[in-house]
Amino acid sequence: MTPGTLFRLARAGTRADTARVALTALSAALATLAGLAALTVLAIPTPPATDGNSVRWSLQYTNGLLREPGLRGGLAFALVLLVVPVLGLAGQCARLGAPARDRRLAALRLAGATPHQVTRIAAAETGLASLLGTVGGLAVFLAGRRLLHRPGPDGRLPLPTDVHPAPPAVLAVALGLPLLAAVVTAVLLRRVTTTPFGMVRRARTRAPWPWPGLLILVGLALFAAFRPVGLWYERRHAEPPPWLLPTLLILGALAAMVGVIAGTGWLSHAAGRLLHRYGRRPAALLAARRLTTDPWAGSRTFAALLAALIFGAGAAGIRADFLATIELNHRTGAGMAGSDSFYLGAMDLVDLAVAVSVAIAGGGLLVAVVEGIVTRRRAYAALVATGVPRATIGRSLLWQSLAPAVPAIGLALAVGYLLVRGVFPAPAGGGYPQEVCDAGERLCGDPATRARYTRTEWVPEVTVPPHVPWEQLAWFAAAGLAAVLLTVGVGLLFLRASTTVEELRTT
Amino acid sequence: MSFLQARGVVRAYGRTPALRGVTLDVAEGEILAVTGPSGCGKSTLLHCLAGILRPDAGQVTWRGERIDEWSESARSRLRRTEFGVLFQFGQLVAELTAAENVALPLLLAGTGRREARTAALTWLERLGVAEVADAPPGEMSGGQQQRCALARALVTEPRVLFADEPTGALDTLTGEQVLTQLVRLAREQRTTVVLVTHEPRIAAYADREVTLRDGTVDRSGLGLDAPLPGGHR
Repeated sequence: MTPGTLFRLARAGTRADTARVALTALSAALATLAGLAALTVLAIPTPPATDGNSVRWSLQYTNGLLREPGLRGGLAFALVLLVVPVLGLAGQCARLGAPARDRRLAALRLAGATPHQVTRIAAAETGLASLLGTVGGLAVFLAGRRLLHRPGPDGRLPLPTDVHPAPPAVLAVALGLPLLAAVVTAVLLRRVTTTPFGMVRRARTRAPWPWPGLLILVGLALFAAFRPVGLWYERRHAEPPPWLLPTLLILGALAAMVGVIAGTGWLSHAAGRLLHRYGRRPAALLAARRLTTDPWAGSRTFAALLAALIFGAGAAGIRADFLATIELNHRTGAGMAGSDSFYLGAMDLVDLAVAVSVAIAGGGLLVAVVEGIVTRRRAYAALVATGVPRATIGRSLLWQSLAPAVPAIGLALAVGYLLVRGVFPAPAGGGYPQEVCDAGERLCGDPATRARYTRTEWVPEVTVPPHVPWEQLAWFAAAGLAAVLLTVGVGLLFLRASTTVEELRTT
Repeated sequence: MSFLQARGVVRAYGRTPALRGVTLDVAEGEILAVTGPSGCGKSTLLHCLAGILRPDAGQVTWRGERIDEWSESARSRLRRTEFGVLFQFGQLVAELTAAENVALPLLLAGTGRREARTAALTWLERLGVAEVADAPPGEMSGGQQQRCALARALVTEPRVLFADEPTGALDTLTGEQVLTQLVRLAREQRTTVVLVTHEPRIAAYADREVTLRDGTVDRSGLGLDAPLPGGHR
């Protein structure tokens, strides 16, 4: 097959295919923007230490997150994390219009294409759409840099529009993302045998095992090991290898995240079994069977949302730790004035990133709900024709989404919070003597009188256990559930159109 | 009072007319075959009679009441309680077992799960597919699936069974077996059947045949809208 033919066949398709290509391109553009923004933050040079700037801050920026070299890594990490829900959205988009695509690919097989050629065509379609998106994302990024380059009266910049990310890194993002998308499509199609008579999905039908629970425990253990490992080296007056502690955190976060997402499959199956046993209404029965037949649908659908919520709960834990530290500083008189509000402001930005992630994940959920309705439109149309109210089908879709979503959201929030708690011990201070002068600024400031009015007090040892941030966690849970409810509600608008009698007339 | 009637029913899909003023009476207990070439409006007529579609003009009456004026939920309730509907394919819920599929209309009517399952098993037994009661449709043959669909259509003991090309996706032998069972059970229950088919062999099972051509009842040919002598009674 010549590249020209491959290109032509990859571009062929229906309106659903066009929508999928457009959404895939949009996801790729968003991921490119997030990736390039992270690379730009990392490209900010750290100036050499001077008398006026011993902490090596990049003073050309107004924002503290960009000025402090120590915070830039975290900011870049947060930007990269935004890519996770975007990739989740892209994954859902790949399933949009799947029946129509399946029929088209089956027709290609009937016309003589080999399974490998069909896989290449499908991968090329995704790859080309992603390339379109990354080129668009790159164009928006370059245009945005120009438009947002607005130095203030003091010459300082709100954004790092004065630095360029390294060209090889830009190229890696622009070409790597489409390549990754194409490879992922090809790998996913491994479970699909394209026959001339349609697509046969080798779906896993056995009940999921609860092994993801083990992964979650491993993740928590790796986070909990962070501090003891650091202390172990400290006691020996040695520095841990620079890769060790970050590896613990990255592996721990990855294990916990995969555990929660994969665990949703198990939760879906368990919820389906419970619904089947105790559900009395047909809507519950329909949902129960869907959940037990394809429990992994929950993992796929909620992956991006759960990743965002784990991150959000972790951020809530860090905020609780900051608040506890502030409380400790008040009690012991330690700490640096002004730093509290800065760090809390930085946490507000993290919360904003989580909200954006939940919104993007909501887009992925919507695609999944609509795709589920469109795929089953003939069976739903037949049910409606035999007198099953659309409301019953709507309720079953709601059950199908909420039954796994509620425990999965709870699990994600609990794991996210516990990960952070494992790293940060309750802030403790005091246990040392402190000189106190409370005779006023004039007497205390004068070296001649200061000693007379100064006394030594013992600052008792204080531990301030951080409060569990129930309110913030509840907000995250509410946001997650609202995203699920909203997307099911919007998806139901498609139910009427997908259950018309015309669906029964098509073969 | 007539049992089921269509009076001057008109229905179009966009600018394409499907029915151009069909008038038809269905008597209680009869098995009526609606035949005709592809695209003549057979399925559309069945959908209008069953209250699935609302005609653009004309009337559909069920025991003297104009169901074309009813709300969608009222017509849905009618199909759930008084009517049964059987299609060519794609009608069973893929994730439910055969017994659950058959029990579904009863569950919707508020019957308890155990009772509904018992009734479903009885119907599957009557149709000779009790062995697939706990299997999903994907594990059944086409004939078994269609028998399950027939069991689901009959489980509520409807007054009228609407069957749209019910054997269209089956081989000849299986199709004949399914149709024989359909006719036998309908007669046992005195269920009226409106059977849409383009095959004269299938139409021969009916008491009477009505032929549609270009969206109207064809009264030009021989034996059209006339009782079939003998049939498969």
